[in-house]
Amino acid sequence: MNWLYDSVEPRVMDEDMLKLAVGEQGPRDEAGQLARQEGILFKDVLSLRLDFQNILRIDNLWQFENLRKLQLDNNIIEKIEGLERLVHLVWLDLSFNNIEAIEGLDTLVNLEDLSLFNNRISKIDSLDALIKLQVLSLGNNEISHMMNIIYLRRFKDLRTLSLSGNPIAEEEDYKMFICAYLPDLVYLDFRRIDDHMKELAEIKHQYGIDELKQRENLIQAQLDDERAQREELEEHKAAFVEHLNGSFLFDSMYAEDVEGNKLAHLPGVSELLQAYKDKFVIICLNIFEYGLKQQEKRKVELDTFNECVQEAIQENREQGKRRIAKFEETHLLSLNAIRDESEVTNLEMKIAEHSKDITELFNMLMTLEMQLVEQLEETINMFERNIVDLVALFIENVQSLMAQCRDLENHHHEKLLEISINTLEKILKGELDEDLPYDVRALFVDKDTIVNAVGTSHDLHLLKIDNREDELVTRTNSWCSHLVDAIHKDEIMRNRRRVKEIHQYVDHVQNELDNLECSEIID
Amino acid sequence: MEVLKEKVEEEEEAEREEAAVRAERGEKVVRPMEVQREEAPMTQEMLRDLEKKLSDIEMAIPEKLSTFTKDTIDTSKLPLSYQSNTLKEEHLLQVADSFSRQYSHLCPDRVPLFLHPLNECEVPKFVSTTIRPTLMPYPELYNWDSCAQFVSDFLSMVPLPDPLKPPSHLYSPTTVLKYQEGNCFDFSTLLCSMLLGAGYDAYCVNGYGSQDMCQMDLTRDVCPLTVKHQEVVQEEEKVPPKKYAIKPPRDLTSRFQQEQETKKLEEIKAEEERQLREEEERLLDVEKAKTDPLHGLRVHSWVLVLSGKREVPESFFIDPFTARSYSTQDDHFLGIESLWNHKNYWVNMQDCWNCCKDLVFDLGDPVRWEYLLLGTEKSHLSLTEEEEDGLNDDDDVENLGKEDEDKSFDMPPSWVEQIEISPEAFETRCPNGKKVIQYKRAKLEKWAPYLNSNGLVCRLTTYEDLECTKTLEIKEWFQNREDMLELKHIDKSTGLNVDYFKPGHPQALRVHSYKSMQPETDRIMEFYDRARVDSLVKREETSKTMTEYYRGRSDFLSYRHVSFGDRVKKLSLNSAESNPRPIVKITERFARNPEQPADEDVAERVFLISEERVQLRYHCRDDHITASKREFLRRSEVDHKGNKIVMTPDMCISFEVEPMEHTKKLLYQYEAMMKLKNEEKLSRHQAWESELEVLEILKLREEEEEEHRLTISIYDTKRNEKSKEYREAMERVMHEEHLRQVEAQLDYLAPFLAQLPPSEKMTRWQAMRVKDECLSDFKQRLIDKANLIQARFEKETQELQKKQQWYQENQVTLTVEDEDLYLSYCSQAMFRIRILEQRLNRHKELAPLKYLALEEKLYKDPRLVEFMKVFV
Repeated sequence: MNWLYDSVEPRVMDEDMLKLAVGEQGPRDEAGQLARQEGILFKDVLSLRLDFQNILRIDNLWQFENLRKLQLDNNIIEKIEGLERLVHLVWLDLSFNNIEAIEGLDTLVNLEDLSLFNNRISKIDSLDALIKLQVLSLGNNEISHMMNIIYLRRFKDLRTLSLSGNPIAEEEDYKMFICAYLPDLVYLDFRRIDDHMKELAEIKHQYGIDELKQRENLIQAQLDDERAQREELEEHKAAFVEHLNGSFLFDSMYAEDVEGNKLAHLPGVSELLQAYKDKFVIICLNIFEYGLKQQEKRKVELDTFNECVQEAIQENREQGKRRIAKFEETHLLSLNAIRDESEVTNLEMKIAEHSKDITELFNMLMTLEMQLVEQLEETINMFERNIVDLVALFIENVQSLMAQCRDLENHHHEKLLEISINTLEKILKGELDEDLPYDVRALFVDKDTIVNAVGTSHDLHLLKIDNREDELVTRTNSWCSHLVDAIHKDEIMRNRRRVKEIHQYVDHVQNELDNLECSEIID
Repeated sequence: MEVLKEKVEEEEEAEREEAAVRAERGEKVVRPMEVQREEAPMTQEMLRDLEKKLSDIEMAIPEKLSTFTKDTIDTSKLPLSYQSNTLKEEHLLQVADSFSRQYSHLCPDRVPLFLHPLNECEVPKFVSTTIRPTLMPYPELYNWDSCAQFVSDFLSMVPLPDPLKPPSHLYSPTTVLKYQEGNCFDFSTLLCSMLLGAGYDAYCVNGYGSQDMCQMDLTRDVCPLTVKHQEVVQEEEKVPPKKYAIKPPRDLTSRFQQEQETKKLEEIKAEEERQLREEEERLLDVEKAKTDPLHGLRVHSWVLVLSGKREVPESFFIDPFTARSYSTQDDHFLGIESLWNHKNYWVNMQDCWNCCKDLVFDLGDPVRWEYLLLGTEKSHLSLTEEEEDGLNDDDDVENLGKEDEDKSFDMPPSWVEQIEISPEAFETRCPNGKKVIQYKRAKLEKWAPYLNSNGLVCRLTTYEDLECTKTLEIKEWFQNREDMLELKHIDKSTGLNVDYFKPGHPQALRVHSYKSMQPETDRIMEFYDRARVDSLVKREETSKTMTEYYRGRSDFLSYRHVSFGDRVKKLSLNSAESNPRPIVKITERFARNPEQPADEDVAERVFLISEERVQLRYHCRDDHITASKREFLRRSEVDHKGNKIVMTPDMCISFEVEPMEHTKKLLYQYEAMMKLKNEEKLSRHQAWESELEVLEILKLREEEEEEHRLTISIYDTKRNEKSKEYREAMERVMHEEHLRQVEAQLDYLAPFLAQLPPSEKMTRWQAMRVKDECLSDFKQRLIDKANLIQARFEKETQELQKKQQWYQENQVTLTVEDEDLYLSYCSQAMFRIRILEQRLNRHKELAPLKYLALEEKLYKDPRLVEFMKVFV
């Protein structure tokens, strides 16, 4: 074989080559004549064969957007590349090339049949995106490690596999191992796997498989958990109350609060803190539940609105369809009548009559559409009012709850200040029994210092609460305005489309009539 | 062995001959009867069994009983309880008598009570004991309507001997069932027995009914089968208007005008209604019968079912003649004297001036209902008991006997035998399997299944006029037809025939309506589409068109309409098959294929074959009101210069809702056209095949109508010829096997071997002796037999001589009849003597041969053979 490659220069996939191939493989006979007249666009091509072309580098294939089948076998390709745009590809043949690694297939999610026969591949990987893979041909390669098989377990649809001619095929356990670890496989190396074989393999490798399965299940369960959590969080975010179902906010208040943490060591403060936390969390939970409830309400509101609008549109559409169907009947009849008419005066009269009909249809359809627009506008406005009210109510209530939080904080602050000043007095008098850590004791030098420290902590807490509130309010408001905007926009788009459609149809009908007239006159 | 067989045969023969002789003598074969009578008191069961068998025989060959009187009933065969009263029953009768006396004393102006009529054996029996609650073994007879229908079908009605009085006799339900005839009291007693057995709270009623009811005259009633079920219009649930429902556009029409319109319409309607009413009244006048002079005096008996048990929500009457249920307020029931069930007897003490409309059926109320027996009184007043009743509902049937024992200490158990209906009788239903009922403007005929060779079981003829002369329509119901025909509806006024089929017709036919069986005429065929490969639901035909409807096809075809042109006259006049009509136009409609975009999913395809045009209409997109269209012209394949034109833009006119790039291309259009060309060919072929299929179905239908074969279930052992044959063959084989076994067991040496001492081994001498004894024994038998024949021969001869002597002595005084008798006796005697002589001669001839045969056999006997060998 080598002399062939040596003697011929590698070729480049240029436009001429592709055109030639498309032309050769395109339709034949009369259809081919037509095709030649019009020329074939690359994006209309579904199947392309480029074998024995001495291609070294895959290139210039980006125009073939709709390609389903691509054959690039018996070339001298060394690297899989340039196939990113061919997302509809189902069948890819890259056999008899010089490929060393599997790569560049990450966008081909529709691929079902992949052939990499007779290459230099030593490792099976980078196939993760190919979830629909059914046939995989990897014979005559350099795969030497059995563990490559386990990688193939992720392809649930894989039925046919060929690996003969690889170093692993030499191993005595080769068949058994594959049958055991890929139980859904039907054909191996072009032969059907019989049930007996399957059973034997399963028994033989039972331990290994069980272990593997256990591990896979664990990973799967973990993934499921994570997903569930993520979904829950998404839901909460949609209700704008994420992380409010616990002490998250409270914890975040103290996370950056150095002074607050220091002051917690004072006698009596820890109990105070605990009580404060409990109360705070209860309010947070209230906000959370209220948020979820409001979210539900909003959803119901939106659903009813959508349903009603859809119903109205459907109803209107049915009416329109009926009108058109009725018109088409008369249209056909009168066209025929006009065609058969010979007398000029009658002809003109009929034509005039028919154009009147067309105008009438146009007016009717337009009236219908305008009616719908008016009705929808009214409904949309009503919905807008309601949803804005809902959101305002929600915000108001949340704000009042947040105010409660602030009150708590203020209360706590006063208490803490009292305790701190008491402690300071005790320290000054030297009556303090307990041992305080050094850095805490450092705060109690004079009154200003301690008041400042407590004040800083208090300010920080208030800031956190304010931030959370602001975030909630802004997000809610923006959601609301986005929603309303989208609804308006959709309605406008719908209206535009319908008007365009009506115009188009009426123009078409009018054209038909005009064409008829022209031909009459010519006759 | 053969010798013995022959011997047995001969003896049998002799017996037969004797029987023949006896029969000829005109002597009745009384022996079995005597035996039976002797055994009667001992084994009641056997008697019943026999009785049942006898009754079966009678079912098989139903004889016409013109009158149903006591004479025709063979009372001798009835069990003892029918023929006499027990002590308890006597006591009950006394109680009843005293009750009756008191009653007539207290209410002298009322009719004497119907308490203890005579039964078929002329024994007075209390009415309650005549009821025998029985649950029938047929699941069909578990509900009251089917029970009543069965009773009304099974018995033929005999009017009361005196329509103003209750009958003097009340026969047991078993007798009534046997003879399939009865008056209203028999009907209601039987029905009541069945209903009580099935757990209903049923009562026999003695009262007064209208003339129509008493005489089972249905000619003024509308046939229940003709009454069309009024379709219950389901009130559409009004959906509350949704929050965001759009407001309807403003109505700009004048309200005043609308009001005027409606007023006008109402006036017209009122006028029409008035006319209709007048017409109806006129008709009613015509129909109204002459008033009955005996109105309110005619005695009738029916069944009352009280609410409570078996989930009966409301009390109602059942007329046992017609099996119809009536409300207790119905006009046909004019009054109630008394009512009874198997436990007690109640006399109505309420006034019946307003028919039965004011009656209260609270049997626990002693003011309204006077009970006969205290113990079994059933209180409907107390709630607790009723609940208990409800609880015991299910076990009621089982507890019937028990309850009789512990509750009703006074009411003896029924004297009637268990009511039994044989499966044959149950299937045959009507007497002779046929029944005709005349309704108002309708006639209903019923037959037992398999009675008619074409499977006809029911025919309803409706008439236009009251005199039943002008037929309006005929409905015929069929059963067990091999072609699954179920109902044939012939409308005489329009000439339209509609055949309805059950699932299972070879062509999956469901309904076939036609005016004539000629092809290419108006007809509609409906099919069971799931049973057909092509999912055809309906095919409508007129002389010029054929329309087919499909459902659930994988190619989404739902409709195909083919219009035909006039048939081109060919030189040779061929049949329709070889000269199909030219197809002018094929219209096909498709349902939406959800996998394809609407713009590429064809909704309607019209092949205008004569104009060489194809029109395509696509489905409408979800949010659009217009659909794409495309029209292909195939006119010019070759242009005026003779060059072949492949495709030109004017060959395809299309309107697209959203124009796309690739569809504008000629190549695309060309490919689409090529595809359509093929599809047109296919569609034409389909149309042609459909036509063929119609012809085939018509042919098949005609054949079926001519043959009308019936199917027989494999479980039907009586009718299934094949299985019957098989079974009989099996039985025969079994019988033969049995005979052989018996023969094999019959050991002619056994008695002689038994005489030997039970030693281990037989000596030669012993063997010889056994053989000799056996032979001599056989010889003796042969001689005995000869002697027996001889003796009989001599006896006959002597008798004949005696007779002859007597004749000669009295020859002068004899009458002609006696002489005839004598002469016939002589000839018979001579015949017997001759037979005996023949037999004797034959015996003499055969005896030595038989003897030799036995000897031969003995030589070969395995037990003796070893000794004989040496001997021989």
